[in-house]
Amino acid sequence: MQAEAINYIRFGIISPEGIKKMSVAKLTVPDTYNEDGYPIDGGLLDQRLGVIDPGLVCKTCGARAKTCPGHFGHIELVRPVIHSEFSKVLYAILRSTCFECHRILLDPKQVQALTDSADSEAHEQGEEAQRSNGRRAQVKGSKRCPYCKAAQPKLKFSQPTYFNIGDRRLKPDEIRDIVSKISREDLALLGVDLGISDPSWLVLSSLLVPPVNVRPSITLESGERSEDDLTHKLVDIMRINQRLEQNINAGAPQIIIDDLWELLQYHVTAYFNNETSGIPPARHRSGRALKTLAQRLKGKEGRFRYNLSGKRVNYSARTVISVDPYVDINEVGVPFAIAEKLTVPFYVTHWNIDKAREYLKSASYPTVINIIAQDGKRRRVIEGNREELAKEVAPGHILERQLIDGDIVLFNRQPTLHRISIMAHRVKVLPGRTFRINYCTTSPYNADFDGDEMNLHVPQTLEAQAEARLLMDVQFQIFSPRDGGAIIANSEDGIMGMFALTRDGTYVSKDEATYLLGIAGIYGLPEHSKNGMYLGKDIFSMLLPKGINLEAKTAYGAIKIKNGKLIEGAITREAYGKGNLLFERIVSDYGFDRLREFIFASSKLADAYATLSGVTVGVKEYAIDEELEQKRMKIIRDTFAKVSEFIEQYKTKKLEPFIGYTLRESLERIIIAELNIARNNAGDTLVKHAGAGNSAVEMARSGSRGNVLNLEQMSMFLGQQATLSGGRIKRGYYTNRVLPHIPPNDIAPVSRGFITTSFYSGMHPIELFMHAVGSRGSEVYKALLTGRSGYLYRRLSNALQDYYVRKDLSVRDVNNNIIQTIYGGDAVNPLMSRFEKKASE
Amino acid sequence: MTDKIDNEIVPLHALIEGKESRAVLADMQLKPENLPKIFSTDPQAVKLGAKPGDVIKIKRRDYGNAYEIYRLVVEEQ
Repeated sequence: MQAEAINYIRFGIISPEGIKKMSVAKLTVPDTYNEDGYPIDGGLLDQRLGVIDPGLVCKTCGARAKTCPGHFGHIELVRPVIHSEFSKVLYAILRSTCFECHRILLDPKQVQALTDSADSEAHEQGEEAQRSNGRRAQVKGSKRCPYCKAAQPKLKFSQPTYFNIGDRRLKPDEIRDIVSKISREDLALLGVDLGISDPSWLVLSSLLVPPVNVRPSITLESGERSEDDLTHKLVDIMRINQRLEQNINAGAPQIIIDDLWELLQYHVTAYFNNETSGIPPARHRSGRALKTLAQRLKGKEGRFRYNLSGKRVNYSARTVISVDPYVDINEVGVPFAIAEKLTVPFYVTHWNIDKAREYLKSASYPTVINIIAQDGKRRRVIEGNREELAKEVAPGHILERQLIDGDIVLFNRQPTLHRISIMAHRVKVLPGRTFRINYCTTSPYNADFDGDEMNLHVPQTLEAQAEARLLMDVQFQIFSPRDGGAIIANSEDGIMGMFALTRDGTYVSKDEATYLLGIAGIYGLPEHSKNGMYLGKDIFSMLLPKGINLEAKTAYGAIKIKNGKLIEGAITREAYGKGNLLFERIVSDYGFDRLREFIFASSKLADAYATLSGVTVGVKEYAIDEELEQKRMKIIRDTFAKVSEFIEQYKTKKLEPFIGYTLRESLERIIIAELNIARNNAGDTLVKHAGAGNSAVEMARSGSRGNVLNLEQMSMFLGQQATLSGGRIKRGYYTNRVLPHIPPNDIAPVSRGFITTSFYSGMHPIELFMHAVGSRGSEVYKALLTGRSGYLYRRLSNALQDYYVRKDLSVRDVNNNIIQTIYGGDAVNPLMSRFEKKASE
Repeated sequence: MTDKIDNEIVPLHALIEGKESRAVLADMQLKPENLPKIFSTDPQAVKLGAKPGDVIKIKRRDYGNAYEIYRLVVEEQ
């Protein structure tokens, strides 16, 4: 998009003459419709203000509803009122000028200093600054006018629109008289943009009435009319205005006139902003506060954020998502009910006209909903004109065809935090009422199936479809742009199944082998078998690309794939996707399509094998026997002994402090390090002791779920509970202890949040408290962090949104300004960084 | 005191001739004002005696990657 430079926008205040010029009608009747249901002339729905009822003709422009843009009218206020949104400006001006001679309360020297600095600024900033040289003179507390020497009365301003000198209230007309006597020079000094604004215009003697299009009335089913909130408020204003006029003409006492005047001021204030501080909000009969002008614009549901920054789109659908492991990872299952309503343009050409006829003639799905002729006229295809249209259709026509299998669509889950929150999927029309996705694609969307809903959009041009296919297709998003690691991959059961199948000693029968491979979509059997049994590794190898080679070391052991066969090692999460070993090799040697096929096939195979063999975890996996219990106790005892030794050294000043730390800080660091060692020690001991055959350990080792730390905390002991700052828990009582059950100043492990029991054994009350301190801390932190980082990211992405990397690898904005001469300083595309490819590839 | 201008971690700045700068701009399809800016009061610009409107070439070495960037000299505001 080419950005057109806007030189400047100038905001001003409408003048009374401006209002008269804009207005097409002076409104005098504080009512809307007469008994016959026709708009009253001179009323708030006067037909000169435009029409919204079908059939009526606008008396100003002669157009009918929908084509008439609406026209402004005005109300003449019998007594002027102050514009409440500008009362602070008026106050500033009144306070800065003399009440006698109306000159600015600055002596010539101060004025000179002010103009000088303004001039030099204007000189430096060029023309732009000169135009709106809005420099408001700072006048504070002058008691006496420097020109006429008159003493200045104390002016008191109270929200929203009241000005008092002593006990006397300044009426709006008085204020207008005062401010209109200020000279142009002084006004300029006060920051008034003369020509398009003037302080006397802030006192309103006529009020602009927006066209009826802005405040349409609704006809209820009962035939009753319900007016817009703005109309209600305008009726109020006109009613009081009329009463005020009658009272003035009848020569009513001044108090009554003043009361009505104040009431008029209130209604006008509420009309502009019903949430003005200092006034009670005007209410509907039901008690609901009226939505007046400011409320229409303001906030999340206001005109700006709701209607201008955010818009509703066509060709989209939204429903609940659910899983289907048999939907490919770049597919999305679309409910039939949605597929038959959404349409894709079918551009009729010389070469596909037969297909176009076929779609047109079809009375049932998939068929054509609309046909768009060359002149852009859209016609609905119905039973009656189907045959006729099929005859007439010609190259250049566009058919709006129902969604069918293979159409490309964009799929999105909010919050759309990164680019992979929107990916392109291929449609697969399915029965049911939910979108179906493969569970491997849940992580980029951060979706689960507990009721999540997602949005689907159908690209409407061939260019958009091609872009979606080439850039946004799921298989191109397998690797994260953050660090190049795989984010679309099999997980949990899928990893477990694959691990169990490929680990040494797994054999399956011929029946099982055909079943597993059949589910994975492969028809055939491995070449080698032993007594009619097939090796698990060989089954898995059937999914690998032919001729692939890989040798790598994982935490679980070496893995060796030779000529398309897994020879050694088991497929763990590390070997598979998240560690990138296998994925990386497949994508660099065989491409993204092959990788997608592999992920899909392996996820089906793994699920099938996990189902077939069964994987069980129970509480018994976390129970520890007598021998391990002894080891656990020994670790704790040894650690505590070591820690008290350090504490003893500290007390006798024998401890050597770390550079840059006090002795006390050094001791703390040593203790924390020692307790960490104890925890790691316990983890290692547990894994060694429980070893193979313990499904919990196997789960952790294969990477399907859980890690050694989790196991250790469940079986051995919880270890040190930390605060957010990373230190041990120490706050509580002023005697320097966390709880009254702890000796004052005690810094032993148990007194500072070290927990010696496990989730399995249960915690002691003090330990439970320490655990709760840690949990509460991290919970609060999490809540604060998500909000903050979310907003930070929003500002960042808005600031960066239309930068792009040009072919010469420079980063530019829409006006061709260079943002970075070379992308990232090294032109490396993080997505491809493991392959050392440049951003252009 | 260490020299803040000739320190080894300060990348090499050089003033380029009008002809060269035009070639560079043409190569990148740029107008001069599209370039990143450098103040004429910047120590490097002062040292090179650069005037507003001149273009300075900076040889940088980040992440072990050597490359050149260009900056337009502007008056400090």
